Amino acid sequence: MSEQRYRLHWVTAIIETLKAAKEAILPLVVLLFANGRRDWNTGLWYIDYLSFLILGGLIILLSVSGLIKWLRFQYWFEDDELRIESGLFVRKKRYIPFERIQSLDYTEGIFHRPFKLVKVNVETAGSSSLKKSEGELTAITKEAARQIEQHMAEAKRKRKQPMAEDLVNDDPFYEETVEAVKEKAQKVFALTSKDLFILATTSGGIGVILSGVAIFLSQFGELIPYEWIFDEFASFVKFGVLIVGLIVFAGIVGVWILSVIMTFFSYYGFTVTLEDDDIVITRGLLEKKRVTVPLKRVQSVSVIQNPLRQPFGYASVSIHSAGGGVGDGAKINLFPLVKKNVVQESLEAIFPNYHFEEPTTKLPKRGKAFFYRIDFLWMLPVIGALAYFFFPYGLLSLLIIPAIIAFGLWQYRSGAYAIYDSQLTMRFRGISLQTAYMTKRRIQSLEMKQSYFNKRKQVATIVASAKSGMGQHRGIIHFMEEGEAERILSWYEKRTVQNAVPLLHVKDESLEGE
Amino acid sequence: MRPQPANQISRKGLKVWRLYGIIQTSILTLLAIGFGVLVYINDWYTWLYIAAAAVVIADSYISIYLIPKIRWMRWRYEVRESEIELQHGLFIVKRTLIPMVRVQHVDTSQGPILKKYGLAVITISTAATNHSIPALEMEEADELRNRISVLARVAEDDV
Repeated sequence: MSEQRYRLHWVTAIIETLKAAKEAILPLVVLLFANGRRDWNTGLWYIDYLSFLILGGLIILLSVSGLIKWLRFQYWFEDDELRIESGLFVRKKRYIPFERIQSLDYTEGIFHRPFKLVKVNVETAGSSSLKKSEGELTAITKEAARQIEQHMAEAKRKRKQPMAEDLVNDDPFYEETVEAVKEKAQKVFALTSKDLFILATTSGGIGVILSGVAIFLSQFGELIPYEWIFDEFASFVKFGVLIVGLIVFAGIVGVWILSVIMTFFSYYGFTVTLEDDDIVITRGLLEKKRVTVPLKRVQSVSVIQNPLRQPFGYASVSIHSAGGGVGDGAKINLFPLVKKNVVQESLEAIFPNYHFEEPTTKLPKRGKAFFYRIDFLWMLPVIGALAYFFFPYGLLSLLIIPAIIAFGLWQYRSGAYAIYDSQLTMRFRGISLQTAYMTKRRIQSLEMKQSYFNKRKQVATIVASAKSGMGQHRGIIHFMEEGEAERILSWYEKRTVQNAVPLLHVKDESLEGE
Repeated sequence: MRPQPANQISRKGLKVWRLYGIIQTSILTLLAIGFGVLVYINDWYTWLYIAAAAVVIADSYISIYLIPKIRWMRWRYEVRESEIELQHGLFIVKRTLIPMVRVQHVDTSQGPILKKYGLAVITISTAATNHSIPALEMEEADELRNRISVLARVAEDDV
């Protein structure tokens, strides 16, 4: 049977070309620099302009391949599957059963806007292989996207009620349900413009940009005429330390403003809505993104407070999802910035079967020393060396000791935990304070760690691992009471009838049941 | 106090670890000899010979005798109906609980040295983590793997 086949919008060709060009940009720049700075002239024009010829050739090649990619790409619906055929030299066919599709994520870039198009990422469970299992439709109209959604909903409905199929097989009914679902959408979170500003200013994006600059410098280090810069700099220093300081300061402020603008663009209009059983996150100014996370795919919830935001009572909330790819793909910023005192309320609106109270049980005093003791191992030789080689001033390095101890005590004071009947709450600090909420069924394995010294003091560390995309998200309780740690292990073991605790009332579908 | 998991790994595992220690030490010895040659050629201090020898001797004691022994004594496992419990670690003792319902798959594998001694490694994978029990007798490993996979299939979620 021949189904109707669909093609992507022609703007795909342009997007594909630009994408390929972006990947090739680094070698290209190097090529231009390397060839362009010659002084000698061979007299042969095609050698003199070799780099430009290569550049031109490459641009033509990329555009042609982008065009062919677009022409070759087709998708259609057949047998309750989304079928995609693509490929420049190697023809690839990918069949994705609708029931396996977890969500469709939409992105609207600047090329999509004028034509009312979206980029669709098809997210599947994707837990069985490292390969990118989702399909990507670079540019289709919004109607076409809705059409896929409808096919998906239909397939899922068929699967859910195969018995009742004869009774309610009419499309009108189906249309109705879709409408009903749409109406049920409930807005649970939105970033106000004030929040957006605070988020941008405290996001730490400055670090990202600075490291980007560092990478750039390391890549192009050889092309930058350092000697010349140093000569300039030497004469420059004569202007006085004040001016140099001002310039450096201006540079940092500039980078910071850039990071604020970037954050502003990417988080503009951030809203979280609850549609049926999905969390839908939309954001972005120039590039609009729409991400869908099915509630039952959520593995753990974390409330994070970095030291910049903590004093002002702000926090951010991220969730870890089972779908998505390696690394950050599965960590989703649910609330990029939120007042700490409304976190509990807003989270409980989304996850009714979690307890979002602050954990109350603190850590025992006798474990306190472990938070900084191990640091002395590397610290003492460093201090010794500094004090010896830079004699009088090197002694200032002794100040590291109180700093490390204070940091350790800070971590100690931050630690806390709580167990509810089927949930473990862990609060711990690296630099930022994190409160991880994990339900028992989402904890994949639980570990209790104890060194010889820990054992003597009867403290132990608990590490709970939950799934996060291809990797794991770990919650930690450092140096807690040994007996309590063992109690958590027993809590995690399957309950026997004797010590049965009331079961959790809400039964969400299991991950394994997918 | 929580009781330790019941089973220990094969005694032969100790031998294999000693063998690994010997291999590691011989590499170190080669390096030390190379260093000694350098010292001789460049006419550096004599005490450098002694230092190199001391490092080799200390390493052979630690990595051939001490570490395998502690590791082996520490390694314990127990496969119960509804969970697997592991205990291992050199300085830091780790006890891991893996519920049967979370087990996704179990593998056994063996390298050339393990094969010579008739041993195998069992690797238990959950959706997020991997855990392995080193050095089990081959028959035991096969039997355990089958048992875990059966238990994991039967295990029902209680929550």
